[in-house]
Amino acid sequence: MNKKRKIDKTALAFIAPAFIFFTLFIIVPTISSVYYSFTSWDGISPTVKFVGLANYKEIFTSARFGNALKNTVILTVFISVFENSIALGLALLVDNVKWGKNFFRSGFYIPVLISGIVSGFIWKIMYNYNFGTFNALLSKLGLDAWKQDWLGNSALTLLMIGIVLIWKGAGYYMIIYLASLQSVSQDLIEAAQIDGASPWQRFRSITMPLISGAFTINFTLSLINGLKVFDQINVMTDGGPGFTSETLVYLLYKVGFNEGRQGFGTAVGIMLIFIIIVLNTIQQKFLRSREVQM
Amino acid sequence: MKKRVLAALLASALAAGTLAGCGNSDSAPADAGAGTAQEDTGKAEDAGAESNSGGKASEEESAESTGTESDGAQAADAVVTEPTSLTFIFADGDEGAKASMNEIVNKFNETYPDITVTIEPGNGGAYSEFIKTKDSVGEFPDIMEMRDTAMYVRAGKLEPLADDIVSLFRTAIAFDGKVYTAPLGGENTNGIIYNKTYFDENGWTEPATYDEFIELCQKIKDKGDMAPLVVGGQDIWHMGFWFHKAYNDQVLSKDGDFIKHCYDGSKDFGDETFKATFEELKTIMQYAQDGWASTPDAQITTFLVNDMAAMMYSGTHMFSQISQADPDFEMGWFAIPSPDGKTRLVGGGGVGGLAISAESAKDANKKAAAEAFIKFFYAPENYKIYCETLSAIPSTVDSPELNVPDVFQEVIDANGTADDLAPMWNGRVEENELPPDFRNFTYKTLIEVLQGTRGFCL
Repeated sequence: MNKKRKIDKTALAFIAPAFIFFTLFIIVPTISSVYYSFTSWDGISPTVKFVGLANYKEIFTSARFGNALKNTVILTVFISVFENSIALGLALLVDNVKWGKNFFRSGFYIPVLISGIVSGFIWKIMYNYNFGTFNALLSKLGLDAWKQDWLGNSALTLLMIGIVLIWKGAGYYMIIYLASLQSVSQDLIEAAQIDGASPWQRFRSITMPLISGAFTINFTLSLINGLKVFDQINVMTDGGPGFTSETLVYLLYKVGFNEGRQGFGTAVGIMLIFIIIVLNTIQQKFLRSREVQM
Repeated sequence: MKKRVLAALLASALAAGTLAGCGNSDSAPADAGAGTAQEDTGKAEDAGAESNSGGKASEEESAESTGTESDGAQAADAVVTEPTSLTFIFADGDEGAKASMNEIVNKFNETYPDITVTIEPGNGGAYSEFIKTKDSVGEFPDIMEMRDTAMYVRAGKLEPLADDIVSLFRTAIAFDGKVYTAPLGGENTNGIIYNKTYFDENGWTEPATYDEFIELCQKIKDKGDMAPLVVGGQDIWHMGFWFHKAYNDQVLSKDGDFIKHCYDGSKDFGDETFKATFEELKTIMQYAQDGWASTPDAQITTFLVNDMAAMMYSGTHMFSQISQADPDFEMGWFAIPSPDGKTRLVGGGGVGGLAISAESAKDANKKAAAEAFIKFFYAPENYKIYCETLSAIPSTVDSPELNVPDVFQEVIDANGTADDLAPMWNGRVEENELPPDFRNFTYKTLIEVLQGTRGFCL
């Protein structure tokens, strides 16, 4: 009995620091934010007024939230699909390339190391209508008609932000796919080859099922990253032109910190948590069922 | 809390107005030069007569001693009954501000031997927080540069300024009829800064009416070698310059208390005058350069000096930027007249400025000394030092003669002759104070309307 209690104490001592910090800085604020989402607190005043469901009512009726939700969904779906396709493509290329494997691997990974803010600035300069790289290139090629106000045209803005995110993120997912690809047993591939399977058949029926674990991880990560994009939007468009690139996280920040409506902003945050949980659950169910254990 | 609800109401009213507000958008020509929130202390021709010295404080002081050089030295004895010292804090992040303030304070201390004004270091970078901290540790200065005036007035920390100080200024912001700050400089006046060489080559002159301005833009557009206007639309505060111009023309000219009326529910953002604001901007913005929505404000100088655009609409801070970018660039300046023929400018005193601590003013000597200091500061020969160093537009009625470039002098002159001089729409106080960040919400809405992604049925 005594011995057991002693073990508990040691274990507790190890757990305690992390537990205390996690509770203090993650759990408590999360729970208290649920409370604040029912208030009209401005973020500064000592007085906090309870307003019941008013904030949630506003969320469901406000065009601004609807717009932000739409933008978030478009951006997230776009990123999840293309980031993963491109990352898988890159991983396959790097995996099969005969020479310079490390060079390509590092090359594609470098954008990941650049901070979100910096990458935003770089691309903002390149997208610039009058002095940017893309339009200058189009002009040089005699394609002036194709020149676009990449970040100023509301029809293109989200797409352009999406491209930056993919450029920055694909390398990370590539590494995960690559690790997974390299764990695929060559025996199986060879066996299939002997049986006369085409490269596509080998990929579809052997490689794909075996790397589906990486799919699950990557889709989950890119989904979460897509839902919480902030840096690039802040630097490149500030949610604009107008509100055309305002996502949920950006709306939360604008409302909570700039407009002094912390209560409403927190309610948006709570909604975001729900959206992430729901989407993630669906995704996990769908992707897990495809995984194959070796 | 009431304000919070109002903020939400205003925001949704604007959204509703812009989304659903389809209707006849006749814009009747604005005529009524309706009042603005600030109290116009007038162009009273003689109001500045006494401003030359600290003389007014001492009633027995004779008129002869108000000579410009004497600076009322003889009056010194009469201001305080015993040696008095004052602390003074200002935002000293700017070297120019530091140098000029030191010079004026030294002059003052020499002129008034019984009064000692001591400059305490102010944290220029985060000045508002610094003053807050000073207040909370009980070191609130006797005289200070005040920025968050409304907050400190509500807290009862500031002493109302005497009428003979208030009358020194062209305009001053009043809270419940009382003025608490002596504006350090006039609000940054916006106007068109243009390529004079290009205008001369084509024989174009500065437009005298709004219609002439639009015609001019059309001529430049037709000529096709450069954009008529360069607009830094990516920085939404730059859009604010334009928005305020049209809002001033269409809304404020008819109802200076429009925001107040929106708060009390008698008006909303579906108002015809508000729609007319967007209409005026739609007309003007068709002359902006391609890609205006993604052009940052920092780039507009490049457009102007590289013959990519003929005109920009901005404040006087651009003069030095343009000269630095191209020392040979010849610039001209004019104010865009309102459609009703009047000239309405951003200018006059804003809400910030020099203020006296209410606590300190309980001591009669300190109060008198502080008032003497403020009068001394704004005496033309002293105020000149500040204005020249900081390129500030004098806010006083009796403006000092400044040794500044011609184009800047033009702005100062225009401030003197304008039909209406007022701070930006978001710089108003009390019942016309906007909810936090409401201006940015409006500017973003404006961009969507201009781009056609949000309808205003124009």
